[in-house]
Amino acid sequence: MSTRPQRTRPLRKPVSSTPPWVAPVAVVAAIALLVAAFLLIRWYTTPLPLPPLTVDATQQVVSSMTSLPASELDAVGTGSANNLIKRVAGSPLTGPNGHPEIFYMGAEYCPYCGAERWPMIIALSRFGTFTGLKTTSSSSTDIYPNTPTFTFHGATYTSQYVDFVSVETTDRNQNPLESPTAAQQALVNQYDTSGSIPFVDFGNRYAFSGAMYLPDVLSGMSWKAVADSLAQPTSPQAKAILGSANLITAAICRLTADQPATVCSSSAIQNIEKTLG
Amino acid sequence: MRWQLLALAASLAGLGVSIYLTVVHFSSVPLACPATAQINCEQVLSSAYGVIGGSGVPTSAAGIAWFAVSALLAAGRLSGRAQLARTQLAWSALGLLTVLFLVYVEIVQLGAICVWCSAAHVLVLLIFLICLPGAREGRVRP
Repeated sequence: MSTRPQRTRPLRKPVSSTPPWVAPVAVVAAIALLVAAFLLIRWYTTPLPLPPLTVDATQQVVSSMTSLPASELDAVGTGSANNLIKRVAGSPLTGPNGHPEIFYMGAEYCPYCGAERWPMIIALSRFGTFTGLKTTSSSSTDIYPNTPTFTFHGATYTSQYVDFVSVETTDRNQNPLESPTAAQQALVNQYDTSGSIPFVDFGNRYAFSGAMYLPDVLSGMSWKAVADSLAQPTSPQAKAILGSANLITAAICRLTADQPATVCSSSAIQNIEKTLG
Repeated sequence: MRWQLLALAASLAGLGVSIYLTVVHFSSVPLACPATAQINCEQVLSSAYGVIGGSGVPTSAAGIAWFAVSALLAAGRLSGRAQLARTQLAWSALGLLTVLFLVYVEIVQLGAICVWCSAAHVLVLLIFLICLPGAREGRVRP
């Protein structure tokens, strides 16, 4: 009878043969996957922009927002708007028709520009008339994506009181659209040292950059819904947009020596003018 | 040792980035950063996530504290204190988890990337990777 030889027990547990680089590579790969997942979430959760309105529908919205009764604008006062208007000291800026010039520089992708165009259109329409305004939305990939707004690109403005000159540097996809002249760029360099847009210069007497309210107040709304909300003076949209419009109106009244009186002599505008310095 | 030297260098670099962002927050010094739709430091740093819990303390101040502790741990390891390995690994894991949250905020919530923040995030990841194999040195074999 034969006996099987006894197996000797190993003295040590076998040491793992996993190379040292596996763990770091696995961590980096996991993080790369996580970042890819974040990008996918961002891609799928970004809402699509509303299709632009037709010419007739745009006209209706513009007409609705620019025909608000003066009593409602007065009732709102500065609303929830943040007064960004600063006094500047420069030689008077005169526009192509010999009137004090209001110069705007912004871009269609920019949500803050999108927010600020609403009060600008309302305020400027109290001194003149816009034609050719088109609806658009801010960038889908920037903060406050798809903010409903208008573009000054291709629009014209006529007024017997002021000239309005606008530069929209890029479209909503950041493709080049318009370029400032050397003189316009010099204005921006002089008064907008932070480089923020939108930048607005009121005849070199007042200027501001940035938006007077946060664009999230317009989030997810259609142009008509925003215009309709302006008819309710207590709505967040009315407080933000009409409050900003009154601030802009007061700055323009300073340029026009309070003309027309129907706009500039209201107590609300007069009170704001006193705060502009 | 050379890996801990690299961890120390990464910690000091991260400390520099965090101090720079904190100084910019509290002063009017313009931030050196390109501004496009996707890359926009200003958009990230001026968001609600740019400060800690709605306070006036910038998130980068937390970065100063984290990188300072990280530098001390790396210096401790360099001086031969192998028992710090687990602490260093736990600290770097905490940092990495915070970084993953901040990257989520940048990409998903804000849709913008801050290049200075990303530089600090990469340094945190580097420190964590260094700690992975280094942590074994302090482990007791069964």
